[in-house]
Amino acid sequence: MALLEVKNVTKRFSGLIAVNDVSMSVEEGQIVGVIGPNGAGKTTLFNCIAGALPPSSGSILFDGQEVAGKKPYQICQAGVTRTFQVVKPFATKTVLYNTVVGAFATTQHLHEAETKAIEVLKFLDLYNKRDVVSQSLTLPERKKLELARALATEPKLLLLDEVMAGLRPQEVTEMLPIIRKINETGVTIVIVEHIMQAIMNLSEKIYVISFGKKIAEGDPHDVVSDEEVIKAYLGDEYVATQH
Amino acid sequence: MKQLLNQKPIILLISALLLGALFILPLIVTSPSLMQIIILIVLYAYFTSTWNFVGGFAGVLPLGHSAFIGIGAYTSTVLFQTFGISPWFGMIVGGLLASLVGVIIGLPTLKLRGAYFALATIAVGEGMRVLFENVKQVGPFKINGPSGISLPLMESSFWTFQFGSKATYYYIILIMLLVVLLLTYFMMNSKVGYYLAAGGEEPEAAEALGIKVSRYKLIAMAISCFLAALGGTFYAQLMLYFYPKSIMGLDLSFEIAFIALIGGRGTILGPVLGALLLRPVSELTRIYLGASLPGLHLVIFGLILIVVMRYYPKGLVEPIKKLIDRFIHKPARGKADDPSNPSARQE
Amino acid sequence: MLGIIEALINGVLMGSIYGLTAVGLTLIFGVMKVINFAHGSILMVGMFSAYWFVKLTGLNPYLAIPVVVPFLFYFGYFMQSWIIRPIFEAEKDVREPITVIIVTTGIWYVLDNLSLLFFGAEYRVVKTSVTGKIFEFYDMYFLLPKIIGAGITILCAIYLYWFLKHSKMGKAIRATSLDREAASLMGIKQSKIYNIAFGMGCACCGMAACVLIPFYYVYPTVGVPFDIKAFIIVVLGGLGSIPGAIIGGIIVGIIENVGAQFMASTWTELLLYGVFLFVLLVKPSGLFGMKQDF
Ligand SMILES: Nc1ncnc2c1ncn2[C@@H]1O[C@H](COP(=O)(O)OP(=O)(O)O)[C@@H](O)[C@H]1O
Ligand SMILES: [Mg+2]
Repeated sequence: MALLEVKNVTKRFSGLIAVNDVSMSVEEGQIVGVIGPNGAGKTTLFNCIAGALPPSSGSILFDGQEVAGKKPYQICQAGVTRTFQVVKPFATKTVLYNTVVGAFATTQHLHEAETKAIEVLKFLDLYNKRDVVSQSLTLPERKKLELARALATEPKLLLLDEVMAGLRPQEVTEMLPIIRKINETGVTIVIVEHIMQAIMNLSEKIYVISFGKKIAEGDPHDVVSDEEVIKAYLGDEYVATQH
Repeated sequence: MKQLLNQKPIILLISALLLGALFILPLIVTSPSLMQIIILIVLYAYFTSTWNFVGGFAGVLPLGHSAFIGIGAYTSTVLFQTFGISPWFGMIVGGLLASLVGVIIGLPTLKLRGAYFALATIAVGEGMRVLFENVKQVGPFKINGPSGISLPLMESSFWTFQFGSKATYYYIILIMLLVVLLLTYFMMNSKVGYYLAAGGEEPEAAEALGIKVSRYKLIAMAISCFLAALGGTFYAQLMLYFYPKSIMGLDLSFEIAFIALIGGRGTILGPVLGALLLRPVSELTRIYLGASLPGLHLVIFGLILIVVMRYYPKGLVEPIKKLIDRFIHKPARGKADDPSNPSARQE
Repeated sequence: MLGIIEALINGVLMGSIYGLTAVGLTLIFGVMKVINFAHGSILMVGMFSAYWFVKLTGLNPYLAIPVVVPFLFYFGYFMQSWIIRPIFEAEKDVREPITVIIVTTGIWYVLDNLSLLFFGAEYRVVKTSVTGKIFEFYDMYFLLPKIIGAGITILCAIYLYWFLKHSKMGKAIRATSLDREAASLMGIKQSKIYNIAFGMGCACCGMAACVLIPFYYVYPTVGVPFDIKAFIIVVLGGLGSIPGAIIGGIIVGIIENVGAQFMASTWTELLLYGVFLFVLLVKPSGLFGMKQDF
């Protein structure tokens, strides 16, 4: 059985269908990519899965349990943690404090949470920033902090919403092995990303969304050669850079 | 506890000396009226510290805290007058009642934008005052409307919570304050404290990390209201006379919020510092200029608040702490100032 | 029966004036997400200005409008730009600008008590050409200045509504209320929008002050009951909604006046708080509340 099973999920805003009858299935241990042009509905799909918005219809099974319409904290407690595309750090608090908040998901004790948080920070190479107030971090650092907090909750499934957007190519190359390493510790990952190189490199499977609809799914290399996908999203530009 | 003692020896020493000084203070101060002023400073520090649980950590602005203080004062007093129940028990009953009211108000409003909570608490505070001014008697309990209640003078004893010497009152409120400060410290360094702060700053991110934000805010509200009511009983026993305007008015609620913001909300020592600074200002201007220039102390209050918020929006604890840090480090390092000093993480 | 209809109409008249002060409050909140706790004190400043204008010149009280309203506009404009803006900017990443809210209460304290220092605590009334004039209608009696006041108020609110919908500045203000960055996209400095919104909010108080002066006392804390009513009204009508503020004002006016037929005024006050808390409990977005991120 798949770890995450999204079945015919639709999300309507007044007048606008942001997610239209999307289904997807994620097996335990996979890294699955979700791509699509800006405004395609990727973040909205994440919002539905993570409980930030209730889906208008459809079902979302996590670990065999229906989670559609549950509250974000319930879904997190069930084992799904998401990051935000527009980062939301606890601005006046330090990097360590932010991460400890995440780590409290699995413990009642401060020292245990701190140990866990420090472990995560070291893993993400943020340890030497631990006492910096998150307000004064650079954007790439904030994105990493977003990841650190999420990771500290020890999720089974991690939803990453454009954690690499705004990073320089060099920083992206540094990020890729980190994400793979997270996956190797047994965390299943669904990743939304614009950077094709990153998605192609990481994912076992890709979903392509355009105007709220799923237009393709499958092996990354098959998907990017799909006519409709190239037309809808990748455009001539991508075709050109391939050669 | 380990963490608490895990400080620099010099800081521990200074704290111990300060604490000792606080406990022998009544031996030095013999004037009852000066003692009264000191007791009120400690009491206001206590009130503000209880406010801090919600206003300081939960990211909202309670502006009707006096309602809970009033509930405490009225509950213990009517129980004592009607049934002869010791105010010490009445105090607990009042605390529980205040907690209940706080949770009922918090339930719908703590989920909303902070502005709603601020408005709702004002409405509750004022609504409660108007209610108490309108009602003369509830069942067997006489509350006398706007004229308030004066407690009969009793023999000085623990049971009646009345004492001949101001020093006893001082010790009681000092211990109450220290207990609340300790509680604050433990809360800040616990899951509840972290979750409250997170929910106060970025509720969406907090929920995504598994935090049921409204639940933690409600916990804070319950604690805060309970403790505030205990202070209300103390106030009643100290003054032996109170009426709705004196104990449930906007003025008291605002003064508490002002003290917290000027001192530094969300810090342990902010409320103490704020009370130390503002209470004397208010007492002195009232005593010396109150007759000739009514309201001057409130103008000064307002101005201090505006200026402090302009230059130290986090309150005065921060700059003062820096000053003290510098003072402590100066002889040891032999350098005038050392801005590179990476000071302690979380207070 | 006639008494109740009379009270009802009086409630509508007085309520529209409450509504106008609430419009100012809701406008400021809509744009800055800040409750201006000094709002009642601004009204007090307006009432004292109008009072002294009439007292010193002896002119018709409504002639104070072109003086007091611009004065209060600039009063608010500079209050925002000198006192509030620096504090607001330090806190602009924060979701709940608590420091700004508390600073407006500081301003409330300063203004009310300064006026106590200057003018003393006594209640003042000024006799104007319309003071005490009665308008009779089917055996019911209404104060003429109340009727004029309500009329001016309603016109004012309609104008404001039109201004926000159709003028360039109004559009910029509305855009800013939805998205703080929007103003800069329209080529207007964001801080200027805030100044203007604050100024307009205070100008509403100026207008209300001028129409109140012919039939209402002035004293240093006159703003407090108006302030608290304005808070109740904006929550009733929905924070940020202008029609909501007027209708909320009328509801409050009616409760107060009709309630007074059956109970002591201190109980109607209590009733208002009750209604307010009830609305918060069952429909926190108010009657006309926009869907927003509570
Ligand atoms: N809370 C919301 N209310 C109304 N419309 C929304 C909301 N969130 C997203 N949308 C709309 O839904 C569409 C999809 O947005 P989004 O999921 O953010 O796209 P993506 O993440 O793929 O760039 C957009 O047209 C966006 O304007
Ligand atoms: Mg997106």
